[in-house]
Amino acid sequence: MKKTIAALILGAATLAAQAVAQDTLPLPSAVEKELAAKASDVTEVTLGKNMLGFAAKFMNGKDKDDAAARQLIEGLDGIYVREYDFDKEGEYSMEQIEQLRKTFETPEWQPIVHEKERKNSETTDVLMKMVNGENRGIFILESEPKELTIVLILGPIRMDQLSELGGIGGLGSLAEVQKGMKVKEKGKLTDKVKTDGDQ
Amino acid sequence: MRKLIWIPICIFALLIPVAVLAGGGEGGFDGVVDSIESHYHVHATRIPFLGVISLIARKSTHEGVGNLHVAEIENFGTGVDGDELNQLVEQKLGSGWERIIRETSKKGGEQTLIFMRPEGQRMGLFVIDVDGHEMDVVQVSVDPDHLNENIGKYSHHHDEDGEHDVSD
Repeated sequence: MKKTIAALILGAATLAAQAVAQDTLPLPSAVEKELAAKASDVTEVTLGKNMLGFAAKFMNGKDKDDAAARQLIEGLDGIYVREYDFDKEGEYSMEQIEQLRKTFETPEWQPIVHEKERKNSETTDVLMKMVNGENRGIFILESEPKELTIVLILGPIRMDQLSELGGIGGLGSLAEVQKGMKVKEKGKLTDKVKTDGDQ
Repeated sequence: MRKLIWIPICIFALLIPVAVLAGGGEGGFDGVVDSIESHYHVHATRIPFLGVISLIARKSTHEGVGNLHVAEIENFGTGVDGDELNQLVEQKLGSGWERIIRETSKKGGEQTLIFMRPEGQRMGLFVIDVDGHEMDVVQVSVDPDHLNENIGKYSHHHDEDGEHDVSD
């Protein structure tokens, strides 16, 4: 009987820990530390739920766009952005990109876009976190020969809302991501994983 | 006699928390600046009469900006280790502060750390900016509504000039 209770408590604790872990921003991984060590410029933006709720006060809601952004931000659990600029090409490896991608290889995270351009060695990955049919997060990994960007947004968000976050420091590129997504939508590439390379 | 024994014991017990607090060091703005001074063996220049300036700023901005603290440190002999500086600031700044932005540029030895803390209806901002051999440390308390109004004025001004994107 005691063993059953202990097993139940342990199981509940594990589930609770997982739930907490899934809705909080991650700690910098070893790969990110390696990238930061090699990059010439690093930009880190970390906004937890409390800070997002507070940052929403910046948006007075009088303007229609501000009101939409405020509503969106108040519902989010966190925003995590890392941008690495390198002096020259080849400062990071595809293995490192793969390691970053693997962090989100869980049943909840579904790949929406996987694009690889051979010509200019650029890759774009967009994954969405789906919980009970609802979108609970977006992970964007964009790599260029001399630049690498990681964006993780936790909480309910849709792709068409990304540009609303463009006003927050460091997230201006999200509007560009959304534009890129729209272009791809026209080419009917977003519904499934698409690779232009040999992956 | 037994009662008298309790007197030194009580005094000793009262002194323990005082000693612990003193040993823990000062936190907040002064704690951070003091730690930077001792760790990097530099001298911080604090702006004279900043309390008065802060008061004037508070009144002139209609409570928009207040609790201003500024320190300037010059002549950093060596490059600043970003991780080390970040750790030092996080340790000394105290509870409630969260780092929201960190920018590092190795080319010019530049570092920027921005911390934020909710202070009731106001927002505390703590900024450290290292540029080569110079470091600026600023703490300020702002009213987000006032700040938003002011930013709004300028963004509308930009829009009128035909510049729509003011986020960057």
